[in-house]
Amino acid sequence: MWRWLLFVWIAGFIVLAFTWAPLVPVLGPTTRVLYFHIPAAWVTVVALGWSMLHSVLYLRTRRMEHDDHAAAAAEIGLLFCITATVSGAMWAKAMWGAYWNWDPRETSIFFILLIYAAYLALRAAIDDPARRARLAAIYSAVAFVTVPFLIFVVPRIYFSLHPDPLLNTRMKPDMDPRIVVGFLGMLVGVTGVYFWAQQLRVRVVRLERRLHLI
Amino acid sequence: MPNARSGFPAAVWAILRKECRSEWRTRYGLNAALLFAVTSLTGVSFAIGRLTDRTDVLSALLWVVLLFASLASLSHAFVREVEGQTLTFLRLVASPTQIAIGKLVFNLLFLAVIELVTVPLFVVLMGAPPVRWGSFLGLLALGSAALAISSTLVGAVISQTRGRGALFAGVSFPLLLPVLAAAVSGTKAQWAGNSVGGEVRLLAAYAVALLAASLLLYDHLWED
Repeated sequence: MWRWLLFVWIAGFIVLAFTWAPLVPVLGPTTRVLYFHIPAAWVTVVALGWSMLHSVLYLRTRRMEHDDHAAAAAEIGLLFCITATVSGAMWAKAMWGAYWNWDPRETSIFFILLIYAAYLALRAAIDDPARRARLAAIYSAVAFVTVPFLIFVVPRIYFSLHPDPLLNTRMKPDMDPRIVVGFLGMLVGVTGVYFWAQQLRVRVVRLERRLHLI
Repeated sequence: MPNARSGFPAAVWAILRKECRSEWRTRYGLNAALLFAVTSLTGVSFAIGRLTDRTDVLSALLWVVLLFASLASLSHAFVREVEGQTLTFLRLVASPTQIAIGKLVFNLLFLAVIELVTVPLFVVLMGAPPVRWGSFLGLLALGSAALAISSTLVGAVISQTRGRGALFAGVSFPLLLPVLAAAVSGTKAQWAGNSVGGEVRLLAAYAVALLAASLLLYDHLWED
């Protein structure tokens, strides 16, 4: 039931964003990438934080379900990270003329991709489930330490061409309120998609383990 | 060796002494790392010659050579215990945090020795212009600290997996990319005569954050 609600919600806000919300003068039609790109980047941080949270919980309680959550969140976070990277690269091609030119934002998100790809590589190299859960949790907790640096610190130290429309240095949105409405709606919708995917993935992992036991 | 009653610093000191002594007996890690550093330097220097005016290339090459030389040996501290089957004994006499901090200090010393050889050789061979000592040594120290902290933790994790050697570089390199990026851009800035404040703060904050996370996680390194 609420899956359909999510579908209608996102579809509605996409229509809203494309018909009702105005375009930002300099950005032109590329304004609309913000309804997908920023929520994807936001969900990346949420998912990786979720992975870190459950890693810490695993280390405290040693319950395998926390490891399921941590692994699923890292996998899905990586997918959303790729989405944000690719949509950003497409926008960069339209605005800056090149898909990739190592702008601080591009560099940061690429580092995050590599760090969490290493997390999956580490998991793949350990056979014993309890040991895999423990070592992966240690790595995931350390890996998340780098995320605030890469997302929030680096782009503010080095000069970046990346627009900062929502959380700019004055900490207030200087966008048209209609864009803000569309953006926040998409943010909620995409976050909903993430938690739906997360719950599906955790269920799959659990079923796989039960199958393994039989 | 320390016993259960000896204090925290005493245990760390004992681990550090034991690391230095066993490294000195064979000098296996040190020889490998120095040979690696000198060989890669030779390769780089032979291929492109002296680069007095390209400080941007020089800073990148310096850190790549340092990183590769040290990455080859930094995981050794824990892998050696696993391969020599001495880890169980070590865990009997010290807590995981004491062991890890002792090995972290050892890795820092190890890096200092490698840099003591590699950096002067690099400056001479590549014809690098004179560095600004304050900024340069600061960047070198902070970069090495971050490198040692992250590779001590990753080394301890990796020593418990299959295919330890190959995986170590693959898993620790992504965590070190921010360090490499900041150190290279700082080294470039000090050669260009610009301020390195941003890079120094970034490296220091990164090292402190990694250390804080490590200290919280060391206790979970071994269970079985």
